[in-house]
Amino acid sequence: MNESDPLHDVLNQLAVLEPTAADQPLATAEALARLRPRLAAEPHIPLFRRFLMSLTIKRTAWAGAGLALLIAIFSFPGAQALASDFLGLFRVQKFAAVSISPEQIKRLSELDMEGLYPGEITMLDEMDAPLTVASLEEAAAQSGFQPLAIATLGKPDSIQVMDGGRGQLTIDLATSRTMLEIAGVDPALLPDSLDGAQIDATVYTAVGQHWETDNVLFMQMPSPEIAYPDDFDPAPLGQALLQMLGMSEPEAASLARSIDWTSTLLLPIPQDMASFAEVTVNGAAGLLLTGVDEGIDGQNAAVIWENNGVIYFLASPNFIPQGLLELAEAVQ
Amino acid sequence: MDWTKHMASWLANLPDYILLHRATAGDGDSFETLFHRHYGRVYGLLFRLLGNRAEAEDVAQEVFLRLHQRPPRTADESANISAWLYSVAMNLGYNALRGRQRRWQWDTHLLPERQEPPPSPAQLLEQDETQAAVRRALAQLPPQQTQLLLLRQMGLSYAELAQACGVRESSVGTLLARAAQAFKAAWLATQATS
Repeated sequence: MNESDPLHDVLNQLAVLEPTAADQPLATAEALARLRPRLAAEPHIPLFRRFLMSLTIKRTAWAGAGLALLIAIFSFPGAQALASDFLGLFRVQKFAAVSISPEQIKRLSELDMEGLYPGEITMLDEMDAPLTVASLEEAAAQSGFQPLAIATLGKPDSIQVMDGGRGQLTIDLATSRTMLEIAGVDPALLPDSLDGAQIDATVYTAVGQHWETDNVLFMQMPSPEIAYPDDFDPAPLGQALLQMLGMSEPEAASLARSIDWTSTLLLPIPQDMASFAEVTVNGAAGLLLTGVDEGIDGQNAAVIWENNGVIYFLASPNFIPQGLLELAEAVQ
Repeated sequence: MDWTKHMASWLANLPDYILLHRATAGDGDSFETLFHRHYGRVYGLLFRLLGNRAEAEDVAQEVFLRLHQRPPRTADESANISAWLYSVAMNLGYNALRGRQRRWQWDTHLLPERQEPPPSPAQLLEQDETQAAVRRALAQLPPQQTQLLLLRQMGLSYAELAQACGVRESSVGTLLARAAQAFKAAWLATQATS
């Protein structure tokens, strides 16, 4: 090292922290052998699946578990069996994108690393592993809805059915407020009445199709449902969420008032990964994301829209955005 | 031909971002290659921070478990897995220190947790005291300055430090100088109070 003297002195001083012969770790192979059972017990969640889950269910890291779980407040499932206990019901009908800076993502990731959660999550119905099927008819039988096809691409090379799930979030107000404080947001935005509120979420089975040659991925799933108590006001939470995403207080308050939180799914879009634009697909409102090649399993353009209670997601690195939109229009 | 060896050799030559992409798609061999490539340095950083072999090993396991479960978003050559690993290691390391803080007093929270008696009592006791004093001074620094100094002490180049800490290479010298200055001030303050 060719350091300036003060730095050189400090680095020499820090050398006392180096592991001695007695402090050498397990051989790497041994350490890996120790880790393997945990890898098997806690399997990896594929990135694309995590992305989809972040649109819908809760236990994911979209930009930090705290953020995901706040999103979950709006995107969490509703138990039909308990529907009579709830007056509010969320179903996705439109999307609102919010750009999020790398700095804010980092802050939220740190929050994630702190292991903070806004409450207790109980999975009432766990998701099963994806199932590969031979045809859309089989996918329909497995999923309970008729998936659409893209005729211009022909038969997909693979079709997967991804199981849905049900969960319940019981909000812990103290922890939720701590999370907001860490994220630089006024914790008083969360009303006292939120403590102990139970929010139920149902995510339905999704169907994915992949065309290898064109490298096109097409996902579709019935809109998730979130059921919440009748005295639950989503607007202050919406404002808190927007501020967590980096928006100033006045901007967040203004936007939170203009959003219909019972039907709008908020999508945080990392600034350095994608830009977005509002589009229509066969008359339905949607969002076009471009430049997402670092973000969503390699795709660099994607379009998401909702029609007749079903959410559609189409992505491919082989199409320019306009071409991808034309492909979306060909869905039938 | 021994295909196992051939495969291992092939993987060992792949860059991190390709290995991570493969690991993310479920390729266990690629994940293990990443583990072999980075485990030593992650442990080295954690040991310097925590001063305890067992605890540093445990936290290193958590770091790689997190890499497996919730890997960073990477799909191109700019993907920086080592920076991600060091960042997670520092965060989990500080969490472990906060765990100690809950158990002990703040002013001892960077003392190493030696559970085994040192083999050479007199000399090592003196060394432990010096280590504890250095860790107390480090504890006064912002985590990024601590990370920079520890990684530089581990021998990382300026280019590697820039990647690991998410800063421009041209800024590394200035940041290191500031960190050294902050450490010296913290060191003098802790010496004055001890």
